[in-house]
Amino acid sequence: MSVLRTEGLQKHFGGISAVADCSIAVEPGEILGLIGPNGSGKTSLLNILSGFLAPDAGSVWLAEEVVTGMTPVQLARRGLLRMFQMTRVFTRITVVDNMLTAGLALGLSEREAERRTESLLDELALAQVRYLDAGQLSGGQKKLLEFGMCFIEPPRIALLDEPFAAVHPVMREAMAGFIRRRHALGQTFILVSHDMPIIVDLCPRAVCMNAGRVIASGATRTVLQSAAVIEAYLAASADV
Amino acid sequence: MSRVTTTSDAGNLWVNRLRRDFRASLALLALLSLAPLVVTTPYSLGILIVSIYFALLALGWNLLAGFTGQFSLAPAAFAMLGAYTTALLDYHLKAPLAVGIPAAIIGTALLGWLLGKVVLRLKGPYLSLTTLSFAEIARVVIGNSVEFTRGDQGLNVPTLFESRVGYYYLFLAVLLSVLIVLYLLMKSRTGRFWLAIRDDATGAASRGIDVVRYKTLAFALSCAICGLAGSLYGTFSQLVSPELGLLMQTGLVISMVVIGGMGTLTGPVVGALLVYLASEWLRDFGNIQMIVFAAAVILFARFLRTGLWGLAGRRFRRQSASGKT
Repeated sequence: MSVLRTEGLQKHFGGISAVADCSIAVEPGEILGLIGPNGSGKTSLLNILSGFLAPDAGSVWLAEEVVTGMTPVQLARRGLLRMFQMTRVFTRITVVDNMLTAGLALGLSEREAERRTESLLDELALAQVRYLDAGQLSGGQKKLLEFGMCFIEPPRIALLDEPFAAVHPVMREAMAGFIRRRHALGQTFILVSHDMPIIVDLCPRAVCMNAGRVIASGATRTVLQSAAVIEAYLAASADV
Repeated sequence: MSRVTTTSDAGNLWVNRLRRDFRASLALLALLSLAPLVVTTPYSLGILIVSIYFALLALGWNLLAGFTGQFSLAPAAFAMLGAYTTALLDYHLKAPLAVGIPAAIIGTALLGWLLGKVVLRLKGPYLSLTTLSFAEIARVVIGNSVEFTRGDQGLNVPTLFESRVGYYYLFLAVLLSVLIVLYLLMKSRTGRFWLAIRDDATGAASRGIDVVRYKTLAFALSCAICGLAGSLYGTFSQLVSPELGLLMQTGLVISMVVIGGMGTLTGPVVGALLVYLASEWLRDFGNIQMIVFAAAVILFARFLRTGLWGLAGRRFRRQSASGKT
């Protein structure tokens, strides 16, 4: 059974269709790549999946439970955790405090949250900056921190929106390595990225969106070679 | 890859910052407890009592603005509502202060909870304007309900003590209790969630923090602190009037917190003492207090956002860092 699936999702903003008749399914333990040109509806879809937008029509299922219209808090507590394209960390408290807050919010005891914080900061090479306020970190370090916060309690699904954008290659490799290790343990991901080499490297399967619709889905290499996907990206680059 | 770590010790962790801050506030209160030994005139003692009243309002407002990121313009209005709850219970029902003061706390907490529910989806100027509207409506309604509240004539309130020294220590004890409650809350999960909401409410919700619940809780608690302060002030001055809720009073509270240091426990208390004492001193030069404090707020907001307590904290950390090397 799919760990997450959507059926006929729709979302309009005025006259613009951000998500149109979108049906996808994510299998347990897979890394699903979600690609598409800018404005294709990827982030709107993630916003619906994580409860930040209510769909106009359609449904979202988390395993056997209908979770359409649930709040971000309800979904986070069901294990659907998200990383944003524009980094969201708590800037006036330390890196350690950010991680602890994320752990406590998901019901961990203080001691357990501290233990996991230390281990994750080591794994993500953030231990050196653990006592800095998050607002003092570089953009890449903030991304790594938000990434770490998603894993303080292993989520049922991690929704990662452009985790590699504007990140130093060394940090990018740290994040990719982390994703590979967690995937090997059975972690499920939806990964939104414009970085095609990393999508090919990490995601056996991909879904491509354009103008709010799913225009291709299947094995990542096949999707990237499909005429509809090439046309969508060429049209988007011609618009620029 | 990584930046040079400028704060390399665990002293920067929230629990350690908070503990330092709390200890400093206790030291300040210990100093204040000695004040009646040197401040002997009833007038001067009265000024100190009113400073502590403002310190309570400043702590209440700081809980919202400094710890939770909600900029309310109603702390003085809630002090007025607390004072009127106690006064009206006495005036109409002859309820003793043992009933009137707790009723002020509960009543303002409930009102704050309701107002919190109304404004919780509002941000920035919209939140401030809504609380300002509430504050003005409350003041005008009280001022105009002559039959029920005696309007601008105000209401007499029975006193708790005849002695000003007794009042001074009562206010100090209440200030200590509020600081302890705030310290324990800020040390707990609740405090951490408030800080997360202050820094990024969307990010907090995405981590599973119930933003609505915690914002409303902060609103209710902040209003209860202001209501308690107002109720006690009423018994001290033995008269409550709609002037307690004037927007200028809220302006004074905001300047106290900004000058003292937002998001700390000691800052609002330091700010309240300095600003109120300065305000009494400036009285001799005409009605220029608000001009001076507004200018000070602009300067602090521009050049010293962490306030005086933040500046002292930085100096302390620098000294302890140089002591270690």
